[in-house]
Amino acid sequence: MKVNLHPKESLLFNAFQLIFIIHSVQVGVGVVGLPKIVFLEAKHDAWIAVFFAGVLTSVILWFIIMMLRQYDSADLYGIHVDVFGKWLGNLLSFGYMIYLTACFFVIFMNYTEIVQVWIFPNLPTWQLAFILILLAVYAVHGGIRVIVGVSFLSVMGTLWIILVLFVPLRYADFTHIFPIMNVDIKHMLKGIQRTSLSIMGFELIMFVYPFVKEKHRTLLYVQIGNLFTTFTYTLVTFISIVFFAEDGLRKVIWPVISMLKIVRLPNLERFEFIAVSFWMLVILPNLCLYLWASSKGFSRIIKRTQKMGIWIIAIVAFGASFFIKARYQMNIVTDLIAKAGFYAAFCYPVVLSIIVYLKKWLLRRKKSHVKST
Amino acid sequence: MIKWLLGKKSQEPSKAHSFIIDELKEQIKSELKAGSDLTFRTLKKDKQELVFCFMDSLVNKPSLDDFIIAPIQKNTQMEWTCEAIAQLLPISDLSAVNQLNEVVTGIIEGKVYIYVEGHPYGLQADVSKTVERGIEKAETESLVYGPKIAFTESLIGNINIIRHNLNDLNLCMEDLTVGTRSKSKVKLIYIKDIAAEEHVNGFRDKINQLEIDHVAGATVLGQLIENNSWTVFPQLVTTELPDRVTIALMRGKVVVLMDRSPDALYGPTPFFTFFESTEDVYMRWNMGLALRFLRLQAAFLSVLLTPAYVAVLTFHYEVIPSALLVSLGRSRANVPFPPVFEALLLEFFIELLREAGARLPTKVGQTMGIVGGIVIGQAAVDAGFTSNILIIIIALSALGSFTTPSYLMGTAIRMVRFPIILLAGIWGGIGIMIAFCFFIIHLLKLDTMGGSYLSPVYPLRWKDLGYSFFRVPTQYLSKRPITNHPMDVQRFSAQKAKKKDVDD
Repeated sequence: MKVNLHPKESLLFNAFQLIFIIHSVQVGVGVVGLPKIVFLEAKHDAWIAVFFAGVLTSVILWFIIMMLRQYDSADLYGIHVDVFGKWLGNLLSFGYMIYLTACFFVIFMNYTEIVQVWIFPNLPTWQLAFILILLAVYAVHGGIRVIVGVSFLSVMGTLWIILVLFVPLRYADFTHIFPIMNVDIKHMLKGIQRTSLSIMGFELIMFVYPFVKEKHRTLLYVQIGNLFTTFTYTLVTFISIVFFAEDGLRKVIWPVISMLKIVRLPNLERFEFIAVSFWMLVILPNLCLYLWASSKGFSRIIKRTQKMGIWIIAIVAFGASFFIKARYQMNIVTDLIAKAGFYAAFCYPVVLSIIVYLKKWLLRRKKSHVKST
Repeated sequence: MIKWLLGKKSQEPSKAHSFIIDELKEQIKSELKAGSDLTFRTLKKDKQELVFCFMDSLVNKPSLDDFIIAPIQKNTQMEWTCEAIAQLLPISDLSAVNQLNEVVTGIIEGKVYIYVEGHPYGLQADVSKTVERGIEKAETESLVYGPKIAFTESLIGNINIIRHNLNDLNLCMEDLTVGTRSKSKVKLIYIKDIAAEEHVNGFRDKINQLEIDHVAGATVLGQLIENNSWTVFPQLVTTELPDRVTIALMRGKVVVLMDRSPDALYGPTPFFTFFESTEDVYMRWNMGLALRFLRLQAAFLSVLLTPAYVAVLTFHYEVIPSALLVSLGRSRANVPFPPVFEALLLEFFIELLREAGARLPTKVGQTMGIVGGIVIGQAAVDAGFTSNILIIIIALSALGSFTTPSYLMGTAIRMVRFPIILLAGIWGGIGIMIAFCFFIIHLLKLDTMGGSYLSPVYPLRWKDLGYSFFRVPTQYLSKRPITNHPMDVQRFSAQKAKKKDVDD
């Protein structure tokens, strides 16, 4: 297998689009429950914890981009083979593929759950799962260009939801955030860790990178995308804290949706019905990108067509959806993926980039040794 | 398989026709199964014999009599040779031929074949006439403001109009033929130093590669050369307005005209082109902008309104404020059907009205509009078939779909509504979003002559938005749209258009 991937010129996209890719893949089902989860650990300083999580992500993104710059145009599958050799490298890639597929699974299952709770209590899980998987398969068949388009239009089409979030501010009590920064460091760190499920997704840059046209500007746009996500998350958490009473925020499961309940237009009430439906557009790029990245492994590792990979993953994920019968099971799976995500998206890339650095450094030293002797 | 068969067919060897007049007549008759249309007129002088072969229905009789037969008959002194006759005839389009297939093709095109017995070749003179209607006002794309002239079925006439609109030396016209049997003439028109070569080549290659017996018109040609034939969305614009074509040419697009077709086909045309009207250009920019937004909103609401009604009334009553819910409930109180059925019924009814109105003569059509719209609409409500509010919504969405300047796109929008209504009936708001997501992906997958269909929104081309999505004042449009990859980007110098300082 080749380490570097050189796609056709027509498949490359502008680095500028990375803002939308990174932002859209980070924002997904996680954000609707984010304020509560972080609040349980970091209390009223949850918004600071979320902000620090964003800063941490930006540091990790710097590590990832530095690692990718060591290569000409490689993705994670290629780097694995380059660093660990054929067998171990492909094994690690396979593990990562499973992680990506699991993310894909968790996203559509969580969305289905939200729909079941808020709109259709009697909707069978497999029906909505089936439709969502089909939509993702249809999009991924169009290739990277279509997926980038989906993430762009998804961000553009859902920007207005941020504006709607300002409506609850009318009922806000800003004394909730005081005293600022009096949570101890342990809870703060725990809060940061709890953010991982919502903020992960940026690791997909390791798969998208070969398709970027101006590779030297990747870092800038990736950081802008992450900054935008950090800003959105901090804002959402902040508004939730000032809107809900302390006990109230403990009791709700999806504070963002609950907040939207009070939005009222002359001809529309109960805005959360529209928001929950509209959330499908938010999770669509997540589904597409995860499905694309994990099915890419089929063409990269085992020399099969990506199309086959798409269908295999789709069928496996659909089959798995039948095993989840109750909310507590879904909770366990989601927590598991959140933990796996913490290691796979936050810790592993840093470790890998250090290894890559060391390897390149050793190689360079060897070369200079050979030259000098 | 088809290509393999075509490959085996060898070209017929060309041969000269017989030099004896009676045999020549037989040869032409056997080649052309034209019946009584085919006419031969023989003249005799001394021992020489001369024949005119032509199709009765295709030639202009007075000019045949006055400019071909009369001069030959009057000049009794002259010896009949091809050179002498050619010198004599006051005809501009005259050529010498002797191949049988050339003679026959000429006769089908309305030329007269003049042959003197025993000579190695004869003369072909063009006195053809075509039946065409006069130039009329545009019917399918009617306008309030701006030029009213429309294309006709005559290719020559249409080219005449375009040439008069655009006196550019680089206006380039290429001749192509399409249809293995019908051999229709097609003109590929572009401005040489503006239009991108890839688009010109794309059109030329696709038209040349067509292996089909007959193409019924420019609209059909468009369907044949589009990349995705399964979608409901047209990927190339057909228009009957010459000024629309002129504007498109100047923006770097490529136009295809076809003989006997009153439509011009042009591309590349992304999705939002179908919502542009020439009126936007002729109006002041702010009004053009407002109207264009009105149109886009109308199309959006037209797709969304009825499904939203179905979704809300079937599943999400909570969304409606209680004051509005009372009046809705009252109007729906004596409707026995579920909202999906009600909506589908009324949409079907409106589609019937539209289709019937399009088929009937204008005068009857108007009456039918009144009968259908007012009488049946009111009766349907009284009979408890539908609610008043649904009638309003259906009327709004029908109106919305008719505001789209392109009839093809308007039809697509109306047809797209039905599956969305069904989905809304099954899954409510989720169903509408499923359809919405599907169409986003679908539109992203489409292309127009190899370019992105959603351009300039995706990929975002900031400067092009002023042309297709918005309408901005002309001084900000110094560059041609990048979507068309024009070779000459500059329309006018932005430097010179810069504003002066106070008291300059």
